Order: sequence, then C-alpha cells, then structure tokens
Amino acid sequence: MTVQNIRALPKQAAAEDPSSPKKTSPTGSSSAPKISTLVLAPAIALAKPSQLLRIVREQAPTALLGCISLGALFLFWYLGTKYKVDFYIRFKNVPTPYAVLEEARTVGLSNKFFINVVDSLRRIISGFLIAILIGVPLGLVIGKYRLVRDLYMPAIEVLRPIPAIAWVPMAIMLWPTNEASIVFITFIGAFFPILLNTVHGVHSMDGVLIRAGRCLGANEVKLFWYVILPGTLPHIFTGLAVGMGVAWVSLIAAEMISGQYGVGYYTWEAYSLVNYPAIVLGMITIGILGLLCSGAIRLVGFIAMPWLAYSVGSKR
Amino acid sequence: MSEPEKGFIDVRGLGVVFGTKDAKVEAVKDVWLNVQPSEFVSLIGPSGCGKSTLLSIVAGFVKPSSGEALLDGAPITSPGSDRGVVFQQYSLFPWLSVRLNVEFGLKMAGVPKDKRENTARTLLGLAGLLAFEHHYPDQLSGGMKQRIGIVRALATSPQVLLMDEPFGALDTQTRVVMQEILTNMWQKFRISVLFITHDIEESIFLSDRIYVMTARPGRIKAEIKVPLPRPRTAAMTESPEFMRLVHELKRLIREESLAAMGSELHVGGISGFEMDIGPEGVKSVL
Repeated sequence: MTVQNIRALPKQAAAEDPSSPKKTSPTGSSSAPKISTLVLAPAIALAKPSQLLRIVREQAPTALLGCISLGALFLFWYLGTKYKVDFYIRFKNVPTPYAVLEEARTVGLSNKFFINVVDSLRRIISGFLIAILIGVPLGLVIGKYRLVRDLYMPAIEVLRPIPAIAWVPMAIMLWPTNEASIVFITFIGAFFPILLNTVHGVHSMDGVLIRAGRCLGANEVKLFWYVILPGTLPHIFTGLAVGMGVAWVSLIAAEMISGQYGVGYYTWEAYSLVNYPAIVLGMITIGILGLLCSGAIRLVGFIAMPWLAYSVGSKR
Repeated sequence: MSEPEKGFIDVRGLGVVFGTKDAKVEAVKDVWLNVQPSEFVSLIGPSGCGKSTLLSIVAGFVKPSSGEALLDGAPITSPGSDRGVVFQQYSLFPWLSVRLNVEFGLKMAGVPKDKRENTARTLLGLAGLLAFEHHYPDQLSGGMKQRIGIVRALATSPQVLLMDEPFGALDTQTRVVMQEILTNMWQKFRISVLFITHDIEESIFLSDRIYVMTARPGRIKAEIKVPLPRPRTAAMTESPEFMRLVHELKRLIREESLAAMGSELHVGGISGFEMDIGPEGVKSVL
C-alpha cells in the first residue's frame, strides 16, 4: 500500500460514514499508523519489489542532484589543487584529495585518531544531553508561567548574545578540569536554541488543547507531561536541530583553544605541525560527525512524532 | 430515569466584567438559568452576547465577577471531569490516536489500561467510529473530529456535557447529521446538556428548553419550552409547531441583533456582526 493510498483512505471512509455510522472501514485502519511510525530506512527494507521500484523512482532525482552537488564540490577542490590556482584565493598549500586520502589511510588505522573522534562525540553528547535536561523543562515552565518568565528571561536575554567561544576563558576558570570546561562550552552552545524554541513552542500551542486537558481532569503536573510537552515537541526538535549545530561550533572552538584530544584539537594541532592534509581530514571528519548528529536528531524526531506525517502542510 | 438524579446546573445572578478599571466590558449581567438533570438546554443569542463566557464559567475556566454557578449544589471553581466540554474548535490532541484521545480523561483519573481501552472501544463502537481507533485526528474529517470530541467528553461519565457551538465549523449537511447523532447519543446517556449555538433550527431540534440571551451585556431575555416529542426526526423540522418556534425565536433574536448592531455602529464598525437578521432588518437600521 502506498503512502498516498493510506492518506486518502480516511477521507473516503468519512464520506460514506454519516449514512451508516456502524459500518466499519474497509481496510487500512490498523496499518496506517504502523507504517507511519516506521522510519524511511526500514520501510525500504520491508517494501515489496514494486514498491522498491517506486521509491527508487521517486528518490532518484534527489539522489542525482545530491551526487552533482557533492561532485561539484570535489571537482572544485580537485581542479584547484591540481592547477595550484592562485586567483585571490590561493590553493598553493592546499593538499590534494589524494594526499588527504593517504593521510586518512595512515591515521585511520591509528588508535590516536579514533580516540580524537570518540572524545569529541563524548563531549558533544554530554553537553547536548545536559542542555536538553535543563533547557526543555526550563523552557516549558518559562513558557507556561508568566512569573517564571519575568524572573528568568532578563538574565537569559543578557547571557544569550555571548557566543560560546567567548565563554572559553571563563569556563577554564570556572571548572576544575579542561574536560569539564569543554563540555560546559558545548552545553552553552546547545542550551539557548533549545530553551528558546521550547518557550516559543509553548507560546504557539493552541490554548484549546490546554483547556481540553484541564477539563479532562489533568492536574498541573499531568498537564505538562501529557499535553504541553507533546504539544511542544515539534518546536523542541527544531531547537535540538539548531542546538546541535551550535554545539559543534562551540565544541570545535573549545577544543582548538583548550583541548586535549578531540577532532578540533586534531585539526589545530595539524596546523601547528604544518601537516596540511591532516587539516583537511580534520575538517571532513567534523563535517561528517556533524551530519551524523543532525541526522540522528531528525531520525529520533521522525520516530517520536509520527502524527506529523498527517498534519496540515506536512512536507513528509 | 429511576437512578439518583445528578447533573443539575444552577446559575444564580451571574455577572462577568472583563478588562481593567479604565476599559471595563460587561460581558454577562445578572444571568439566572438552570439545567435540570438529563435535560437538554440550549443558549442562543446574537454573537458577542457572552454565551461562550457563560459556558466558560460553568466549565470552570473563568471566575464570575458576581453571582455563582452551582453543579448539584456545589460551587464551580475549576475545570473537572464531572463536566465534559466540547469546544467549537477542534480540540483533539493531534499526537494521540483516536482511541488514546478518548482514553485521555480516564488515564488522568488513574483508570487501569485494559479498562480504559475497553471503555474507549465501547464508546467508539456506539458512535460508529471503532474502525478509526488507530487513526490520528489529522487523518479525519471535521465532522468525525467533533464526534470523537463528544465521545472523549463522555468517556469519563460526566454528569453534564457543555457544548460551545460544536458544529459551528461544519458544513450544513454534516451539521444536520451531527445533530441527529447527538440526540441519539444524548438519549442513550441521559445526561444534562448545556448547548451554545446561534443557529435557531439547531437549538429547537436538539433542546427541551431554550434560553434566549440579549445583546451585550448578555442577560436572559426569554425562556422557551420546546414541546416537540422525542425521539426527534428530521421530518419534524417541517411541522407547524417547529415553524412557530422558529418564528418566535427569530423575532426575539432579531431584536437583539439589531440592538447589538446599533451599539456596534455607535462604536464605529460592524465587524463581528452576524447576519441572523434578514436584509430588510439591516436596511431599517442603515
């Protein structure tokens, strides 16, 4: 069954419905939400050959354009380094793709590079999780209660414009270890986007849902957990996506300045040691890790909010 | 009707004033009304007359400035599951499936999972909606959403059902079907209903009694009994008795609509004015 078919079904059934209220839906009533909860990758794995063909046909232009996009970037790099272009920007010292590949081969096998990646991931996950654990509940409460908003927002508005990198000296003074200060800076980067999007999410929630929750007997705590949190979830995930991007920026800056290990440290060290291919390798590694992290957030959002597939204006 | 009668709404001298000291708006003034146990009562009036405000007080969202609203003798102070509310806007939780929406009130009350599921499925079956239990609200038509809204409000076995123009957003055809479904469900459950509408035919078709409200500040202008027998059928809307009631209500409401329009013209705009009155009524004012 195709996605279009599933979405068309309820309307069709609804049209027949008033004349015979007891009539049951012909098909699909149970399969629709199940499919909607699946994420794309498993859906492809489970699809029948004909469906697979359809998915391939639908996704082919996207995949093709994606290849062209990446290919053009690579070609620019390749040609620039091959002909040592010197036209305002200088490719004289930029390593060739081949040199970077060689570097990747040598360090790829080394334990040290692996430790760098694991360290960065550990820091990003710690900082990000702490930002969620503080940012989301605080955002919900600020969004709901005027008193809390008036109490916290002035302080937040003052701290927010300070870039995470400007926190580096302060973080080194504040925290006992280098590690803690780097996690703190990552946290700072992720915290504000998560918090502000959560607040915005509560504000833009339809008030009738909160009233409905209250007349169905939800007390204040249950209202937060069962109504306000799920109602705000789409905005929270927007905050998480933005926050993840800022968290990486902050992490790399912190690692370059005060780190030991980590891909930011690796990249900066390569510059200090005049190991040009390693610089590019570090950059590519950061790019891929950042991509994986945002992808993970999108995947979790997709699984956590299956209903969005049916909401008005859905682009899924 | 042999069980102990519950669900008696008693509104005594209710008044509501909105706004600050400088810009006070008197929404509702000295309203007295009641809904007897298992009675269906409509509240009808020109738009902006404060009928929704009145319902919000009975629901417990708004505190009255004067007077009181009682449910079975106890003052209403906050929202609660003893009063089911159906809103004009669609108010199903979009993140929950139809069945989980219906189960919501029971879950809040701490009813165990299997029992919740049973109740929800039974009610959805009665409403002919069981086939859609796993759908999300956004997959359904407006009429179905409102029916599920009613089912959800009934799931906690409230003593009264408060309905704020629940069919206002639906097209005429769906509306008529929904009215029949509602009378059927009401006869099954026999609970008190306070129904807000600005649709005259709708109020007559559904109600045992109708309160007509005045233009702002809203007061009770008239109380009309609907002597039509039950069960009501679509054919009854053609009967002379029905027509007589329509005319009487039209006359009462026209007076108030004109009054409302007059005061709005004074303020300098006719926005928000509703065309309950005929074109000749407008001419006579303009």
